[in-house]
Amino acid sequence: MEILKKGKSFTPVVITPPARLELPDFRELWEYKGLLFFLVRRDIMLRFQQTVAGFLWIIFQPLIQMLIFYVLFGLLVQIPTNGVPYTLFFLSAFVVWQFFTQVVNNSAMSLVGNIGIIIKSYFPRLALPLSTVASAFVDFGVSFVVLMVFLLVNGGYPITFRYLLLPILLILTAIFSSGVGLLFGAMMVVFRDMKNLLNFIVMIWMYVTPIMYPVSIAPEKYRILFYINPMTSLVDAYRWVFLGDAGGLPRINYLLISLVVAVIIWLSGAIAFRAMENKIADVM
Amino acid sequence: MSRLAVKAEGIWKEYQIRHTLEGPQTSFKAVVNAPFNWLMRRSNKYAHIQRSEPFFALKEVSFDVEHGESVGLIGRNGAGKSTLLKMLSRITRPSRGRITIYEHVNSLLEVGTGFNVELSGRDNIFLNGSFLGMRVSEIRQKFDEIVAFSEIEQFIDTPVKYYSSGMFVRLAFSVAVHLTPEILLLDEVLAVGDSSFQHKSMAKMKELLGSGATIIFVSHNDRAVRDICKRAIWLDKGEVRMDGLSVDVVEKYVESLGG
Repeated sequence: MEILKKGKSFTPVVITPPARLELPDFRELWEYKGLLFFLVRRDIMLRFQQTVAGFLWIIFQPLIQMLIFYVLFGLLVQIPTNGVPYTLFFLSAFVVWQFFTQVVNNSAMSLVGNIGIIIKSYFPRLALPLSTVASAFVDFGVSFVVLMVFLLVNGGYPITFRYLLLPILLILTAIFSSGVGLLFGAMMVVFRDMKNLLNFIVMIWMYVTPIMYPVSIAPEKYRILFYINPMTSLVDAYRWVFLGDAGGLPRINYLLISLVVAVIIWLSGAIAFRAMENKIADVM
Repeated sequence: MSRLAVKAEGIWKEYQIRHTLEGPQTSFKAVVNAPFNWLMRRSNKYAHIQRSEPFFALKEVSFDVEHGESVGLIGRNGAGKSTLLKMLSRITRPSRGRITIYEHVNSLLEVGTGFNVELSGRDNIFLNGSFLGMRVSEIRQKFDEIVAFSEIEQFIDTPVKYYSSGMFVRLAFSVAVHLTPEILLLDEVLAVGDSSFQHKSMAKMKELLGSGATIIFVSHNDRAVRDICKRAIWLDKGEVRMDGLSVDVVEKYVESLGG
């Protein structure tokens, strides 16, 4: 490495028994940014190159879901969406939900699914779940374009100053999703049934998040319960960006709570993940 | 002038040997059974049934390796050689004690770590190189050399799944020998490819040694240890039984096997 070539002093690496609470080594992670890049590249190439319709799948998945829910809740049940066409109402939240599930599912499998590499080489293990966040952003980019096409074709939803909030929302969503994924990834190492349970948990989570319905269909006094779930205020905020006031009122205070929750979840996820990465080579 | 490359101070590695049916991982069944097991263990009748028992793979192992030394680790199966190498490679951590590593390490416990058969040879070189701790700039710089060494130039953009097993191994090994570590940790990976390729690999190893790299080598092959390493450490049931010139240590070790 560079250190070797320049003959500069090398900071000695001290290997000690694992402490009970360890935070990831961010400096080291930065040194492995090349690995992070190739992990993302691997993931994208495998998905885009190997299947005939790799790219099209990313477009069709939200569209097919949208069609199903449009028929169910837009045509048959006719859920009130405050004047917003159901297709747009659903899609504006579902693209975010897809990002969330992709990060959670792939991060959760990152330790158990890469065991072959983990027991044969050293690298900061956190690179594995973090690379899934980066590739989920690529997918999000594609479905975001699909959403924009729908919004602009409709014509009633122009791009406003509210889009400035989008990067902040995305970072918040990424931190929260990654944290949840890290927690499940850690559990997966010791709890074998987690793999099957996770599918159910994510599915139930989708139903309690206002993706296919607005929170306003619930009686006033119960609405607060929806906001225990940080995804609710995030989804609200995305709708506020994409659909304007009709998408619901922005709840900045709830969003701030989401930020705090997201950071706490991420840190506890990172600590749990670290504890399990110390253990995984010994138990598997 | 000698300087330290590796210092291991009183390292222990403890594993838990399970006696109950449940594996190291917890299943739903284990959760259901847990209270019953707990009650059974509480009653005196079953007190002797322990859930698990500690097993020490390494006990109070200490040694220093100086820069440029080549050290062979020998011992029977289960002596703790691989555990020690895994620990030096930072794949697992000690239960007690500490290891200090003063130089840049590359460990080669397997050739082709992280190879993906769906990807091309080119992509795999970059992926494997980064798993082994090489920088992108470093891989790029050595890319042509790696490809030339592996002798698969015309297939470099073909997915690895279409390679013959010989081609696969040559490519994987070629990345490995182009690492530029100060300390190289090796686990019996020398015997790959056909004999002409093996010859080439051995020459490359000798070249590495000549360049002053520190090498720690685990092997069952006492002859390889004697040929490559000046010094050998004999591990026996997790303890250092003998540490000295490889000629002497290997001789005593072979004697013990015969007796």
